[in-house]
Amino acid sequence: MTAAIVLQVAIGGLLMGLIYALVAAGLSLIFGLMDVVNFAHGELLMLAMYATFTIHQALGLDPLVQLPLIALLLFGAGAAIYRGLIARSLAVRFNTGMVQVFVTFGLSIFLVGAAQLVFGSDFRAISDGVLSNRTVAIGQVVLPLAQVAAGLICLLAFAALVLISRTEFGRALEATREDREAVALIGIDRDKVFSVGWGIGGAAVGIAGVMLSNFYYISPTVGSNFALIAYVTVALGGFGSLPGALIAGVLVGLVEALTALVMDPSLKQVGIFAIYVLVLMFRPRGLFGRL
Amino acid sequence: MRRPGTSNVIIRRRRRELVVGAILLVLFVLLPLPIGNTYLRGLIVLTLLYAGLSQGWNILGGYCGQISLGHALYFGIGAYTSAMLFTVLGVPPTLGMFAGGILAGLAALLVGWPCFRLSGHYYAIATLVVGMTALLLVQNWDFVNAAMGITIPFRADSWSDLEFRVAVLPFHYVMLAYAAVAWLIAWVVEGSRWGFYWRAVKDDATAARSLAVRVFPSKMAAAAISGFITGVGGALYSQYVGFIDPDSTLGLSLSVLIALPAVVGGVGTLWGPLLGAAVLIPVQQLSIAWLGSAGNGIDLMIYGMLIIALALARPQGLVSLLGVRSQAGGEVAESA
Amino acid sequence: MQTAGRGGGTWCGRMGSGHAARRAGRAPAVYPLSGNAAPIGHDAQMALETEADIINGHDNIPMLLGQGGGLPRLGGAKIKLVFADSQNNPQIARTETERLITQDHVIAVIGSYTSATAVTISQICNRYQIPYISAENSAPSLNQQGLAWFFRPSPTDNDFSAAMFDFFRGIGKQTGRPVHTVAIIHENSVFGTDSSRIQSGLAAKAGIKVLADISYQASTPSLSVEAERLKAANADVVLPSSYTSDAILLMRAMHDAGYTPKAIVAQDAGFIDPAFLKAVGPLAEGVMTRSSFALDATKTRPAIPKVNALVKAHDDGKDLTDMTAREVTALQVLADAINRAGSTKNTELQAALKVTDIPGNQTIMPWVGIKFDSTGQNTEGNPVIQQYQHGQWHTIFPLDVATAPAIWNVGE
Repeated sequence: MTAAIVLQVAIGGLLMGLIYALVAAGLSLIFGLMDVVNFAHGELLMLAMYATFTIHQALGLDPLVQLPLIALLLFGAGAAIYRGLIARSLAVRFNTGMVQVFVTFGLSIFLVGAAQLVFGSDFRAISDGVLSNRTVAIGQVVLPLAQVAAGLICLLAFAALVLISRTEFGRALEATREDREAVALIGIDRDKVFSVGWGIGGAAVGIAGVMLSNFYYISPTVGSNFALIAYVTVALGGFGSLPGALIAGVLVGLVEALTALVMDPSLKQVGIFAIYVLVLMFRPRGLFGRL
Repeated sequence: MRRPGTSNVIIRRRRRELVVGAILLVLFVLLPLPIGNTYLRGLIVLTLLYAGLSQGWNILGGYCGQISLGHALYFGIGAYTSAMLFTVLGVPPTLGMFAGGILAGLAALLVGWPCFRLSGHYYAIATLVVGMTALLLVQNWDFVNAAMGITIPFRADSWSDLEFRVAVLPFHYVMLAYAAVAWLIAWVVEGSRWGFYWRAVKDDATAARSLAVRVFPSKMAAAAISGFITGVGGALYSQYVGFIDPDSTLGLSLSVLIALPAVVGGVGTLWGPLLGAAVLIPVQQLSIAWLGSAGNGIDLMIYGMLIIALALARPQGLVSLLGVRSQAGGEVAESA
Repeated sequence: MQTAGRGGGTWCGRMGSGHAARRAGRAPAVYPLSGNAAPIGHDAQMALETEADIINGHDNIPMLLGQGGGLPRLGGAKIKLVFADSQNNPQIARTETERLITQDHVIAVIGSYTSATAVTISQICNRYQIPYISAENSAPSLNQQGLAWFFRPSPTDNDFSAAMFDFFRGIGKQTGRPVHTVAIIHENSVFGTDSSRIQSGLAAKAGIKVLADISYQASTPSLSVEAERLKAANADVVLPSSYTSDAILLMRAMHDAGYTPKAIVAQDAGFIDPAFLKAVGPLAEGVMTRSSFALDATKTRPAIPKVNALVKAHDDGKDLTDMTAREVTALQVLADAINRAGSTKNTELQAALKVTDIPGNQTIMPWVGIKFDSTGQNTEGNPVIQQYQHGQWHTIFPLDVATAPAIWNVGE
């Protein structure tokens, strides 16, 4: 176990962590808005990956080029899910928390089935993108280009999210989260704010999906591989906190990678869970949770 | 505060519930007799199993308001304990299932103690994480044969060993007894002082804070009971199917399937889990039977749509169709 | 969320002919038709349907029952298939099998890809006294359950791993560059765990050092750390046991880590999946795998080209693989037994299966033959070792059936 290997593994974990962070950010945003944990978040990731693959096959567009397109597509998907399902479940006067949880669960099962119907269950992969199969070397550390790019793009997307939160709209989001009833009095259309919020959440996970499709395989159930880590990341960072999602994501990525180095890799998730439990013992609302 | 259960209205309602329960019990005792079809009988067995499991979940999730997404842990503990005792030590599962239930109940206490101070969604995800951790650990634990699972060998038809070659009827009665006892426990808990505390806590946040000290022990009790019931169900499952492995006894989809009947049928109600199981389990199994062979995912789509539709259309649960109001009421519990 | 589902399909065969007095005999096939293993289940379905068509049709293929026209000793009765989805869940596999047995009155069951489902299916078949033909379940424990109604034409993981170490001995002698060290990497469910155990044991017996034994979860987001550990071990041979998804990740991760193992000898499964080959492209060049089937054995198995063409037409242009070839053969074995029994009665079918004796050249498999021992295991199924060279799989071992020399970089 040389220092070079440890460094290599750590940076790899960090890059993966940035992807986790972006997926978690979308989730955190949605929760922060309306107390809804979107259990179909992994399937949104899956949709983004399939969309990227399909467009790549049909039109030959490289995933990188597709970023704005998929982001827009997933924005629409997120908003549509809000309007079609979540808005209805918010109107429910009884057991709202439970209803939202299970509505999104049902949605995730539905989307997996739909993906299998439309795309078949074979594993797909993009192997001829601009970033595919290339590595970049920094000193003794060799990193896959696709993952470096993914890390960078996710970081940029995070910056964009932070910028959005500083705008007028971002303040409206914040206000709506603070007090849903009162915002109507100052002319903020709650439904519009929520739709956009869900849209942004969808776009965030969509960008992560595009970057993932450069090096990960695609199948109807691929969302579940990332979903669990995303939920833990959000809870660890604190529901509703963007900086929390970033720090937690990076932490999770690092812990996962380093655990795999020293222990049996099949237990690397236990490392993540252990950190999670530890943090929650001392901070039940996660690192930066405010709600 | 008035002592719970002293009002005449309440006494009469509870008596009514017992009467209805008894009638249903008789009906279910007679139900499989005219049905000769093994598959349909098996469907009822599974439905009753999940009715019992979900009723166990309901005690913690519905009445107490702690939404657990990791109940498969208790199921798995029950299944593995009973299977190991049987295959290694020859302990008959009729005893082993109680050992499994007790261990599961203890585990629930262990999980509840640190987790109950987490609010709503944090609690749900914490239970999810606990469940997933257990799955990972058991997959790597050689003592219980890790990922390879345990086969429960069939030796001879036996009531004490809960093994029957092809007869499904005995299992029907075993599962019926299980579901009935689970229901009865829920009935008792609902009318107890604990049930009273939980309802008060759910409806009023100030009461929640002032009662916090008293509520915690009752939540622990709810967890233990819930875990016990789930564990016993796991042991019964392992005898019925004859093979257990980490994926089929500790997975997340199982945790969801345990909670779902209560949610769909009506959380915090006596009849919810039974009604929910009666709808969900046949739909799940039949959609696999009718549509699964095409292999195109339509069975999943239907299952998913059904969950969405039921959750949206009847958020109070299917019991509301019968004019029964939930005794639990209110939102997902915030931290005490 | 974690589904960890690998599917299974059930396959049932129904017998039909022109005679009014004929009994309907069905054989179901139980495979995962939804979930993670759905692609395998789908391929199985296609393979079985192809074989059924061969038996019923007029393709005139030079193998047992390849002449078509149904089953001769039952007046040309045709095989009809019924499928059921196990969703790779042992409870659902059992329930579905029981449904097919009690409602559709199937005469035998074929399945099922994974061990977990095979356990419950074979157990329930045994209870109902219906034969279960295990097409490609390779866990050695399956024929040790003491079941009188279990029949497995396919070799077991013991045989497969033994073939690998026989190969090491052979190639070591031939090239003078033997194997001294191995690194085992495997997914952590039944398949991988079982396989790694057997391989460690065999390595110890052969005096080969195991430098690393890495297990991972098949659904992991990344295998880069695992690849780094393999690189650090730098063994002569890497022995992976992976499904398609993780096989793709592993090859890419090793490439990204700048590590090209001198030799990779895989446990089949994901490594022979056409989807894997498509996804990793040139990275698969030189990969070796054990296999129960040799597509290029056309000289000694003349039935292969025709059968392959039919399977390709059925299954999106995919060639016969180790999996689908065994599925075709399983149905062939069952049909042969029904034919010899001259009836669909379970006890007569069981008796016929027990005395099955099909010479290898009457099948598409490179085996000596199909003959079951008292536990229902075929004792004449011998695996081969294949290597992916220039976009195609070539048999490289045993030498008497090899169609190409091995590209062996160990010790270079």
